[in-house]
Amino acid sequence: MQGLDISILGPACVAGLIVLSTHVPLGKQVLGRGIIFIDLAIAQIAGLGVILAQYFGIDEHGLGVQFAAAAAALAGAGLLSWTDRRWPEYQEPLIGTLFVLAATGGLLLLADNPQGGEHLKDLLVGQILWVSYAQLIPAAVLSALLLMVMWLRRGRLTGLLFYGVFALAITASVQLVGVYLVFASLIVPALATVGMRGRGRLAMAYVIGAAGYVAGLALSAVLDLPSGAMIVWTLAGCALLAQLLHAARRSHPARGATAAVLEAAE
Amino acid sequence: MKRIAISLLLLASVAAAPAQARLKVFACEPEWGSLVRELAGDKVDLDVATTALQDVHVVEAKPSLIAKVRAADLVVCTGAGLEVGWLPQLIRQSGNAKVASGAGSFMAGAQVKTLEKPTALDRANGDVHPDGNPHIQMDPRRVLIVARQLDARLIQVDPANADTYRQRGADFEKRWLAAMSRWKAEAAPLKGRKVVVHHTSWVYLWDWLGVQQIGALEPKPAVPPTAAHLAELVGTTKSNDTLAIVHAAYQDSKPSNWLSERTGVPVVSLPFTVGGDAQSSDLFGLFDSTISKLVGAAK
Repeated sequence: MQGLDISILGPACVAGLIVLSTHVPLGKQVLGRGIIFIDLAIAQIAGLGVILAQYFGIDEHGLGVQFAAAAAALAGAGLLSWTDRRWPEYQEPLIGTLFVLAATGGLLLLADNPQGGEHLKDLLVGQILWVSYAQLIPAAVLSALLLMVMWLRRGRLTGLLFYGVFALAITASVQLVGVYLVFASLIVPALATVGMRGRGRLAMAYVIGAAGYVAGLALSAVLDLPSGAMIVWTLAGCALLAQLLHAARRSHPARGATAAVLEAAE
Repeated sequence: MKRIAISLLLLASVAAAPAQARLKVFACEPEWGSLVRELAGDKVDLDVATTALQDVHVVEAKPSLIAKVRAADLVVCTGAGLEVGWLPQLIRQSGNAKVASGAGSFMAGAQVKTLEKPTALDRANGDVHPDGNPHIQMDPRRVLIVARQLDARLIQVDPANADTYRQRGADFEKRWLAAMSRWKAEAAPLKGRKVVVHHTSWVYLWDWLGVQQIGALEPKPAVPPTAAHLAELVGTTKSNDTLAIVHAAYQDSKPSNWLSERTGVPVVSLPFTVGGDAQSSDLFGLFDSTISKLVGAAK
């Protein structure tokens, strides 16, 4: 039971909610576009940006790293937005190729980088429990700005705007919670609500995400297991539960009929 | 079920009540946990953060780790950059100023002279750490110096048990010196022999035993070796009457086996710290096992 303490789990929980705030609506689009591995590719490209920045002598602890990561992620986003227009049918394999190129490009660069240490690669991959409130302020401001952009565009982001917003959101969130949680926050709530429509879907996806984080943090404290990995599993558990409840409600005859009518009308 | 759990918890807290006065020690690595047990016996509550079968550079964040550091009176770690990826975060998240610096923070690496310490000039020449190689636990001489300093620290932070610490410290020193001369005698055939290692984590052991390291499979941590480096290493290993290819129990044996197949030199997996193999249940067992495995390869 050691560790079931709000001052230990609090910052991690807030970090999770901040990440969810942008990732749930973005996840819906990622799923719709069928490019689910784009977050891994963007995170890897941001990491490559940091390694490159080291080459040019940028201090690894300063703000320069953040700019390098964001610039690299945005450049990657620009490239992907262009390939999306040029070869839309090959977007998914292109994203995969970009991912392995960025990952192995880092290895090639580090091979003879004088200070090429393993920490460079981990610089952009956070662990959710190590988050402090001070770290959350810039992430919260950025998320608010990105949400505002999405709201102004009524949730419909196209081309470069989508890839740009996505790149910034991912670069910030990977540093807070790590790649596994970023992937899960993006895909799992969106996947769990795939049969639902409209505002209800977004709300349900947020509920699933928040429940997954809270349950995962609490369970990791009770069972003494690594928090990040535990949350991925509780997110999936909450998603499964939501799907089962949804299916049960739909199979109820009266409700089922109304839902079918509404679905046909939409 | 819940009621049972609650009553068990209550029982546990009642049972723990008289122990509340006991010093709470948080050790980062098993070797220092073992040393604390030698010096303090049951006078302290001990938590060890890592096991011998993991890479201590990387630790998965668990809520219990933060809670343990929060409760600790004394943190005993290696320092010298070994835990730089997680210990600073852990101490910051715990908010425990007592162990952040001063008497509550004991860094073994700071008590001894470290090897491979770069001068300001050659910092740019490789993936070297500014405080030198942190894997000091494989030199019994350095372990003894750390033991003396740690004993003094225990007396300082827990004066009520000073007599126990003094007596146990003297007893440990006597047994350790006796063991050291035994190990040195057993290890006589190793002197001057050459080894190839997986990572350069054994410099202190070689320094003590007079063994010569002639190459490393992965000279830079986490950076895969190049084909040219491996080709050269096969040549050096073959032409030098190499005693063994050494890797730590927690490390992947694939690279060592690869080199062994090409050169016919045997692979030796050493415990590296307490708990690394069945025999290494404490610091004495760690060196018993290490020496006997190396001598076994020399026969």
